[in-house]
Amino acid sequence: MPGLLQSVLLLGALLAFSPSLLAQKEDPRQAHYWQTVRPILRQHCTSCHNGEDKKGGINLERYDFIISIVRDGELFSKVIDVVNEGSMPPEIRPPMSQGEIDTLTHYINNYLETALAEKDPGIISPRRLNNQEYRYTLIDLLGVDVNTDSIFPADPSGGAGFDNQARILYLSPLLLERYFETADLAVEQLYAQDSAWRAMVPVYENSFGQSLKNWWHEFWHEEDISWQAPSKQADKVLEAFATRAYRRFLRAEEKQMLGDFFKKVYLDAKEQEQPYDLAIKETLKLILVSHHFLYRQEADPEIELPYEISGFELASRLSFFLWSSIPDERLLNAAYRENLHDPAVLEREVKRMLKDPKAKRMGAQFAIQWLELRKLTDPAFQLDPEIYPSYSPILRDLMLAEVESYFNYVMLESQNLLELIDSDFSFINEALAEHYGIADIKGSEMQKVSFASGERGGLLGMAGVLTATSLPTRTSPVLRGKWVLEQVLGTPAPPPPPNVPELEASHDTAAGPQTLRVMLEKHRADPACSSCHNAMDPIGLGLENFDGLGRWRESYGELSIDPAGVLKSGESFAGPSELKQILLTKKELFARNFSKKMLSYALGRSLGFKDSPTIKELQQSLIDTDFNTTAFIITLVNSYPFRYKKSDNADIQS
Amino acid sequence: MKKSWHISRRRMLKGMGACIALPLLEAMNPSILRASSFGEPPKRAAFMFAPNGVCPGKWAPEKLGSDFALSPILSPLKGFEKDILVLQQLMNKHSISTVDGHYTKTANFLTSMEITRTIGANVNSGGVSIDQLIAQKTAKETIFPSLVYGIDRISSGVDANVGFTRLYGSSISWKTPTTPCAKEIEARFAFDRMFRTIVPRRDAKAENPYKQSILDVVSEDAKSLQRNLGIADQNKLAEYLESIRSIEMRLENQDQLEDFKAGISPSIKKELTHLDIRIDEYVDITAGIDITEKVRLMLDIMALAFWSDASRVGTFMFGNSVSGRNFSFLEGVRANFHSLSHHQNDVRRMTQYEKINHWHIEQIAYFLQKLKSIPEANGTLLDNSMVLFGSGLSDGNRHSPFNLPIMLAGGGGGCLKTGQNLLFEENTPLANLYLTMGRTMGVEMESFADSTRELGEILA
Repeated sequence: MPGLLQSVLLLGALLAFSPSLLAQKEDPRQAHYWQTVRPILRQHCTSCHNGEDKKGGINLERYDFIISIVRDGELFSKVIDVVNEGSMPPEIRPPMSQGEIDTLTHYINNYLETALAEKDPGIISPRRLNNQEYRYTLIDLLGVDVNTDSIFPADPSGGAGFDNQARILYLSPLLLERYFETADLAVEQLYAQDSAWRAMVPVYENSFGQSLKNWWHEFWHEEDISWQAPSKQADKVLEAFATRAYRRFLRAEEKQMLGDFFKKVYLDAKEQEQPYDLAIKETLKLILVSHHFLYRQEADPEIELPYEISGFELASRLSFFLWSSIPDERLLNAAYRENLHDPAVLEREVKRMLKDPKAKRMGAQFAIQWLELRKLTDPAFQLDPEIYPSYSPILRDLMLAEVESYFNYVMLESQNLLELIDSDFSFINEALAEHYGIADIKGSEMQKVSFASGERGGLLGMAGVLTATSLPTRTSPVLRGKWVLEQVLGTPAPPPPPNVPELEASHDTAAGPQTLRVMLEKHRADPACSSCHNAMDPIGLGLENFDGLGRWRESYGELSIDPAGVLKSGESFAGPSELKQILLTKKELFARNFSKKMLSYALGRSLGFKDSPTIKELQQSLIDTDFNTTAFIITLVNSYPFRYKKSDNADIQS
Repeated sequence: MKKSWHISRRRMLKGMGACIALPLLEAMNPSILRASSFGEPPKRAAFMFAPNGVCPGKWAPEKLGSDFALSPILSPLKGFEKDILVLQQLMNKHSISTVDGHYTKTANFLTSMEITRTIGANVNSGGVSIDQLIAQKTAKETIFPSLVYGIDRISSGVDANVGFTRLYGSSISWKTPTTPCAKEIEARFAFDRMFRTIVPRRDAKAENPYKQSILDVVSEDAKSLQRNLGIADQNKLAEYLESIRSIEMRLENQDQLEDFKAGISPSIKKELTHLDIRIDEYVDITAGIDITEKVRLMLDIMALAFWSDASRVGTFMFGNSVSGRNFSFLEGVRANFHSLSHHQNDVRRMTQYEKINHWHIEQIAYFLQKLKSIPEANGTLLDNSMVLFGSGLSDGNRHSPFNLPIMLAGGGGGCLKTGQNLLFEENTPLANLYLTMGRTMGVEMESFADSTRELGEILA
């Protein structure tokens, strides 16, 4: 018996602690991996990506078993991507044969895909409302607009680069203090607007009969019941408010709790003027600092398998995704009376929500962050005023407004996402038109303006993008190229190798602009730099006709500008217009990148390997529909991770 | 015999918050004991961080020992030679990472540990930062456990290149390894939060009388949720409850607040009123553009917090890492900080880089001057403080984490032997300095991060 027990324990230990051993026995593909696939990695990858050098922080030497490849599936999807793209192995190394590329990518894909057969929607942590969501929520809830940006500490960003990522949205004592002050301020502000206040909190007056009854009770029963009648009326007001604030129905004990608090304040303030309004105000403030209001918390029952989230939870996910705020009453009603998981109901609601003006918040929230344009409003971002005297906060805000209006138009009206890359129009006003050198645009309203030539249309010709990717004193082809690779195509270059100075800085600001191209070319001659800079620099140099504020220029003073170039992938172009045409052919990359960005934004979490089926589905939906945005959003909200979750209770480490 | 010796030593240290750093026999010396006995001014610690490193060859004074001449970058500290320690060859070994760049050398500047590479799913700085460790000790004594100041808001976005959230480049104070402290960047808010009860604002309104009751209800409610929650849920709930607790403590501790108010001498009050007006002027007139004034306001607030004993420990970030702040307001500077830090050994660029470093030290000199101008006991506030200045990089051009530029000013309440330019053995842990500072502040620590020993050389 002890012997048997021992072997059982030993086996258990083996199972528990060495999955690789287990996999080695179980996975019939293991021997083939060793014979055919691993040798390719060993021959082409591990001379740099080994345990010692770890180029780019990557060590491919330690993958002896298929199961460890699967565990790092995300990394290996990237391995496949860069091998397929041809960006790895770098040019200085012997290339892989087509046969080797096919074998490697085919089998690794196969390992990964088998692993993906088990669906996983991921864990959704409780998410604090971020500063903007908090602001929009107060607008929708109270009609009061508080500039939270200047009051609250900034929110950190995570995931695909957004400030709505659950794990990283901390709450500090400092912020909670500000929540208190803001709740106070907002409620008092609403109270000060009599008609708005009365619309939400109907007036309460003790009838004569009620006063008599109160007095009678006090006299004969020595019991103060003066709170009872106002409480009854207050309950309705408070419940309606809390339901919207908490985005769900209240539990009985929650109603009780709010009622008790109202009563306490009411009795305490009985002798003051308007004790009823005072008690309501304080209870509203309480709701606004409650955990239920500040956090979007979904239930985490003890269920091991992924499960469908509740109707109210889905309503919140929808409204925070599309409106950066709480659901409206119609949406809450739909969640309560109908099945929001029903694709038809979901589609109807989404279409309705996209028509609501609140959907335009996506421009400021999603687009500006996706495109890394928050940088412009960072106080630390200051341009050299002597070189750019016309740059001002006013011009900057117009630059941002152009991107927002344009994005919203593409997203909500024309619904053709490819217009982000190229089009023949934009939204500008008189001041911005002057900046661009376009005549005959009048007024301060952003208006749709068509361009005569093909250079300006699309994000790449927008002053906001072109300014944010410049340095304080000049343009930066490297930063612009990097921006296109990262934000548009989603193929970021790896970081420069340690101890190699950043190329960007190699150019002296006092030197003439002509040296810029020359310097960059010189640097690209260095093999350590070339594999990435061959990808970045030509794109940026192709945009050199746009100066550091995005204005068109034909030359750098006496020296002419040569915007022509050849992309790393081989296509050549004469200038910005042709460059955009080439980018338009890279539809798959753009679709994939946009899908990842928006999925991470919609879920409020980092994406992992297990999300790749959803990303593929979204990418495909764009390609199949000629980049129709509504179809895309409907695919997204119907997707598995958007409607399901895995309980954190069961297992956080998956 | 040995055992009881240990106990009495610990008890003594606990009771006195004395210079633990001292060798035992000296610590037993009655004259030292007197210096740290009850009624003496408390010790303060400030940690000032600058991004992007310093210009090579211009930081450390040439001559070692106590008779050194200031280096070009340190030249604004003229007159403070006897108050400072230049500490060469310190480093954070966990900054050497497979991933190069700034983030791994910023978030861990005060934790001396290795940070987790993440775009946000599992942020971890490796440890509690030294300032927060000290704050845990001094929190009971003051109305604010610590001050976490800076001038830049958290940089937006993630760095797709290297796979880090930019939060890492924006935070040096870590309450727990996974929770960065929120940074105050507006002088108006920082001032009001601490001194509003002393210098009321014109539009001030009284504290909400129901605040305590609201706190009671919402925390009770949140606590009832605690059962049956997921792991991440519990963490988030704990953050919420802790924040409530910290507000409650301040509300409950009216005695402490009264003590604090009673301790505000007429001269502190005068300074506060003056500073209040300057902050208004700054907001109204310069519209927040003048960065030198912005820094100085924050540093003045910190100095006044130390003086009034509102808090005893603070951090200040001159900028987030990779800060691209444009310094062309300085004569002869024509580009942004980060670009210039990658100087490529080009003399013209290095000169500008050096000028920016020099500007940082000018602000430190301003702060030290402020502390020195405030008499306290038999000396000045500076004598009772430790002000660390440093960067997570040495030469920004190479992102080098070795031989960091580190300078410590102030007497540490008589514990430090200032006025030295010291060259330590190569790769001496920066954590050794933190261990020494922590102990000087009265924190009982066996070790800190990768520390190997106390820096006896800097102790009096």
